[in-house]
Amino acid sequence: MSRRVVVTGMGAVSGFGWGVGPLWEGLRAGRTGIGSFRRFDHSLHRTHVAAEAGDPPPDLARRFPGWRRLSLADRFALFAAAEALEQAGLEPPFDEGDVTAGVCFGSSTGGMLEGERFFAAFFPRRGRRARLSALISHPVNAPGDAVARHLRATGPVQTLSSACASGALALGAALDAVRSGEVDVAVAGGSDSLCQLTYAGFNALRSVDEVPSRPFRSGRAGMSFGEGAAVLVLEPLERALARGATPRAELVGAGASCDAHHMTAPEPGGSGAAAALEAALRDAGLPPGAVDFVNAHATGTPLNDAAEWRALQRVFGERAGEIPLVATKALLGHLLGSSGAIEAVVTILCLQRGELHPAPRCEQGEGVDPELPVSLVLDRPLPCPEARVAVSTSLAFGGSNAALVFSRWGGPIA
Amino acid sequence: MSPSILVTGLGSVGSYGSGADSLRKALASSTVHTSEIDRSAGYHLPESSRRACLVAYRDLAAWVPALEARRMSPPSKLALAAARMALGCAGLEGAPAEESTAVIVATSFGPSSYSEGLLKQILFEGPESTSPSLFTESVANAPAAQIAIALRARGPSPTLCQREAGPLLAAGRGAAEIVAGRAPRALAGAVEEMTPLLHALLDRFGALARPEPDGGEAARPFDRCRSGFLAGEGATILILEEEGRARERAARPLARVLAWGSAFDPSAPATGWGTGHEGLARALRRTLSRAGLEPGAVDLIVSGASGSRAGDRLEALTLRAAWGAAPLPPVVAPKAVTGEYGGGVLGPAVLAASGARFGPTPGFREPDPELGLVAHDGSPYPAPSVVLATSLAVGGAAAWLVLGKP
Repeated sequence: MSRRVVVTGMGAVSGFGWGVGPLWEGLRAGRTGIGSFRRFDHSLHRTHVAAEAGDPPPDLARRFPGWRRLSLADRFALFAAAEALEQAGLEPPFDEGDVTAGVCFGSSTGGMLEGERFFAAFFPRRGRRARLSALISHPVNAPGDAVARHLRATGPVQTLSSACASGALALGAALDAVRSGEVDVAVAGGSDSLCQLTYAGFNALRSVDEVPSRPFRSGRAGMSFGEGAAVLVLEPLERALARGATPRAELVGAGASCDAHHMTAPEPGGSGAAAALEAALRDAGLPPGAVDFVNAHATGTPLNDAAEWRALQRVFGERAGEIPLVATKALLGHLLGSSGAIEAVVTILCLQRGELHPAPRCEQGEGVDPELPVSLVLDRPLPCPEARVAVSTSLAFGGSNAALVFSRWGGPIA
Repeated sequence: MSPSILVTGLGSVGSYGSGADSLRKALASSTVHTSEIDRSAGYHLPESSRRACLVAYRDLAAWVPALEARRMSPPSKLALAAARMALGCAGLEGAPAEESTAVIVATSFGPSSYSEGLLKQILFEGPESTSPSLFTESVANAPAAQIAIALRARGPSPTLCQREAGPLLAAGRGAAEIVAGRAPRALAGAVEEMTPLLHALLDRFGALARPEPDGGEAARPFDRCRSGFLAGEGATILILEEEGRARERAARPLARVLAWGSAFDPSAPATGWGTGHEGLARALRRTLSRAGLEPGAVDLIVSGASGSRAGDRLEALTLRAAWGAAPLPPVVAPKAVTGEYGGGVLGPAVLAASGARFGPTPGFREPDPELGLVAHDGSPYPAPSVVLATSLAVGGAAAWLVLGKP
């Protein structure tokens, strides 16, 4: 019998700011965080909007040794991890005592933003005047490793980099590690910052909307970028209760699959995404009928949203159009390797608060695409005090899919 | 009772050639195939390392035809070639894919040449000149995705990026997917591409073996005069199957997966190895205990030591701490042959469990008194029943895989 696993702490950095508090306030207000941004000069790019994390709180350089040498993605990750641990009532270091802590992290680009600045100086001058230290946090495993180093974790540490499914896959790996008893505490999540490589790359694929993304709307024309991190602390239920911690939710299942279809286009029938969702529900021991709402991948690209709708139809049948659907990327943009993690946090917040955050009404005034008749939560929060089970889906480049199933712990927070 | 997992196929590509037999021969003969790295771009410093273990890509056409390969990055080609070799080795060539076969691939740096090309386009030609096909194949999970697409493998397909620890983590993850009942079969392994730019940067970080007075460069794992590793590239993919299913189809297994485990050394800096050998030794012993084993039961250690001063030191001290006063079994260091890429420990470990012999460790001349460990000198040793594969990564991660005779 595997152990039940609960989430005891959450932390986040997003286009709404540094912390879970600003995240929920922004989501609930239903105002998009996507707009003009300054992270890099985008004047020559095709599009000009993103959800940029604002300035960090002023005291972080004092709290985190070596802060100034870290990449932005590392900084996001460290802040979110510290916030999550504080909420969980856990204090590092973990290399003393008898707690085995592990870290499972997702990232698409690691310290690419800083890498771009380095290479902009390196290439023209063949390495002269380029500071090698800018590459220290360049590898994609750097944010997860930075968190592990900060925690002084001694358990397994792994970074998953399966594009947009990375964060959700990391949470699935963490669930395995806690269930199996390999770790007592898993710190899991993802982090990515805006960078030119992905911004230009997705624009080259014509997958980016010129205005804030409009998932599942008639006129949707692509995704919007976001940046940030999210971290969740996972523990065995028994351990959490024994030490007096308050579970925020239970992570009851995880599933993954691959479309095995195309590098960039989803399998149009949604079979791959459906397989991940079904695997997650099977892992949770729950039927599709138990699901009260879906936090969808919902990028806003014409092909992805269509494939996701068909996946929902496959799994939920006639209920597919009735289950409330939350489209977080309409407000935060696409956080790539950390999108699965931050959407997990958002899913839990919705379960905790008993209401679903809305997608904003877009300026173009378009309604839900009649070809994809989902029950998109729009304009204002949707009360759902009875909701107990929610799923979050992540569908990535290369056809990598992941799904997570969360169950509410206790009643909604007033 | 967990199901027993067998390795039924091994595909490998490296500077030693293509296929498990090429690797086996290189390990037995201690032959190191290095080439001069292209320094014409001017990224290298004047006194830099010059050699690397590079793949002859033209030899991959037998596994990845040109028409299929034309849209693939070098790592995707390497990984798909190794996957097809592994399927052939497992007797599964041309067999219909199991619907939920898992594909788990580890890489440290991903498709480096495509990322470099993409960056140059964006930075110097303007973002609108960005090539969609370069971008598509620049993501770290492109190799895993290409394997899944080619083989119609629709199970989980995570890509792991944990530097040198990644390949053994991938193998463990593949076994875990089968044990959990999420996949009937898994392709698991590692891929790496070595470009002139990456080579130059690793050299600037002081990671590579230094040129020697005779003009050569050697990795020299555990040697007193080791100066760094030989950069390498290649791919290694294993076929993992549940024993009952493998026996049912009369597969000829190469090795049995007995246990896997991993840990982290928080004393490690981001660009190096730490000093936490005592903690790593405890984690190593825990890994062995999952198979009901004590260190004394290990007959052969296939070490990830690569010639790095700090990395080999941590490896040696970890092994000695795990073994305590007991003598270590023979320690082979195949990255002296393959160069530093993740598959450099994974493939040789499987071959070791299947009875392959290792020649003397290339480059090992003089023991380092601080390490108290002598790399294998080529002396005969009894056929191992239990093989321990180790890999300690830059940045602090560590992973182990315990294999047994099939």
